[in-house]
Amino acid sequence: MWYFLELLANGALVGLMYSLAALGFVLIYKSAGVPNLAQGTLVMAGAYAVWFFISLGLPLWIAVLIGCVVLFVFGLLVERLLLRHMVGQPVIMVVMLTLGLEILLRGLVPGVLGAAPKPLSIGVGLSPVIIGDVFLNRAYLWGGVLALVLIGLSLAFFRTRLGTKMRAVSDDHVASWAVGLSVERAIGLSWGIAGIAAVGAGTLWGSVQGVDWTLSGLLFPAIAVVILGGLDSIPGVLVGGLLVGILGSVIPGYLDSMVGGSTREVVTSLIILLTILVRPYGIFGREDIERI
Amino acid sequence: MPKLTLENVEVIYDKVFLAIKGVSLEVEEGGMVALLGANGAGKSTTLKAVSGLLGPERGAVTRGTIRFGDDDLLRMGAPQRVARGIVHVLEGRRVFDHLTPDENLIAAWHGGRSGKFDEIRDRVYEYFPRLRERGRSKAGYLSGGEQQMLAIGRALMTQPKLIMLDEPSLGLSPLLVQDIFAIIREINRKDGLGVLLVEQNAAATLDIVDSAYLIENGQVVMSGRAATLKENPDVQEFYLGGAGRVDYHAVRHYRRRKRWLS
Ligand SMILES: Nc1ncnc2c1ncn2[C@@H]1O[C@H](COP(=O)(O)OP(=O)(O)OP(=O)(O)O)[C@@H](O)[C@H]1O
Ligand SMILES: [Mg+2]
Repeated sequence: MWYFLELLANGALVGLMYSLAALGFVLIYKSAGVPNLAQGTLVMAGAYAVWFFISLGLPLWIAVLIGCVVLFVFGLLVERLLLRHMVGQPVIMVVMLTLGLEILLRGLVPGVLGAAPKPLSIGVGLSPVIIGDVFLNRAYLWGGVLALVLIGLSLAFFRTRLGTKMRAVSDDHVASWAVGLSVERAIGLSWGIAGIAAVGAGTLWGSVQGVDWTLSGLLFPAIAVVILGGLDSIPGVLVGGLLVGILGSVIPGYLDSMVGGSTREVVTSLIILLTILVRPYGIFGREDIERI
Repeated sequence: MPKLTLENVEVIYDKVFLAIKGVSLEVEEGGMVALLGANGAGKSTTLKAVSGLLGPERGAVTRGTIRFGDDDLLRMGAPQRVARGIVHVLEGRRVFDHLTPDENLIAAWHGGRSGKFDEIRDRVYEYFPRLRERGRSKAGYLSGGEQQMLAIGRALMTQPKLIMLDEPSLGLSPLLVQDIFAIIREINRKDGLGVLLVEQNAAATLDIVDSAYLIENGQVVMSGRAATLKENPDVQEFYLGGAGRVDYHAVRHYRRRKRWLS
């Protein structure tokens, strides 16, 4: 029983960190209607940025702050230099563009900053937090809480006037232009915010598994999260992350010892496949409103 | 309101398809002008050329000028044209489905959080009280008529000097069309808002506008004051009541005569 609770709690915390990795994906999908296949490398780039600024001798919080600025600007530039030229092109071309970005970043960033795994310490001790008989990984605990806060902030953001305009843009680009909204700026902003979320996710994940190119592999759990939760739903990213994290912890916790490991990847891919078959819009994804 | 002037405007889609061929028209200060024509005549294309919405459809103005007062609109992006006071209510309403009506209005507001916002929103709700009642449900679930009201109200939130309406009567009951036309006329009279109204239904439209242009196959074939046009026998035959009666011989005859006239 305690074992189960431990798997559950740690799984939930890891799940929240998946949510954070997936948050940028949803932000971009919401405003631009494009699945961002570069989401994993964006998180990796965020981790590299924070590690780089720390290696210059800056304190963690300043490194994170500068990292946020760098990735925010990077997000704006992606829109300005790449996506703006894709207006009127089929969505598949834009998807291919994000794939190209993923490949480019995955080669370029470790190439420039070093491919060997680097430690990233966020000053959280290694000793577990113990509640009752449940051992909680301290890093996961911090990560989960931080993820929750950041997701809450983005939920609040979409309630503001600026957020309302971003939701309008995500509904209908042409109608937005027609009432004077700058669709380009909204998409740029969503890439910028996705960059900031990527710094958050990158810092947390970098601190638990080190900073190297493998962080870009977070794309796959992130995709499982958004497909399960709904591609354009922020509450969905939260619930999807929790479910992916818990299932990916509890099931391997019992099965791995029997089959010899790596059931987590199987669970993740099963989640993707089953959701698409059973409920293609995900749990919270919006169906297009059709009045007859 | 500055005067809107189109001169010899030509629009090409996909670099090959010539959709309008040298359209010239004017909307005078505070004027209420209709652009009438059958399906595919080029009405929506003309409006999109003015509002700057051809880009996403891979269309472009390839010849001619579009001016609003002293401003050359063709040098501006769509949001800039809205800032100058031109707003386009799209064909098929296109409200923001997943936002509430109130959020639809907020999204179209460009000023800060000032008292002006409340004033203008209140005015929209005065024109369309139904919207206030439906304020909390998603706009996608409003009835067609309510959505049309919302589309117009949303456009008014941009504080326009000229509003372009693309077939606002589409799919609405004749009674509701009358209501909406009456409100448009009222806004036009009271606030001096210029109106460029695209319609297929010439009969109802010619009753409320000052003047009109008839467009066919991407060309303006006739224009004049509404009262004059209503008297014109060709207009009477082909636009006022000729519906359902397709007489191709007569149509050709009309076209030929048209060429002599112009
Ligand atoms: N995006 C586009 N790409 C290619 N051709 C187009 C496009 N949009 C319109 N057209 C063509 O341009 C011509 C004019 O179209 P437009 O939409 O302006 O007509 P309309 O007068 O508004 O018609 P309706 O009353 O049916 O709305 C039509 O022949 C149409 O097929
Ligand atoms: Mg049209």
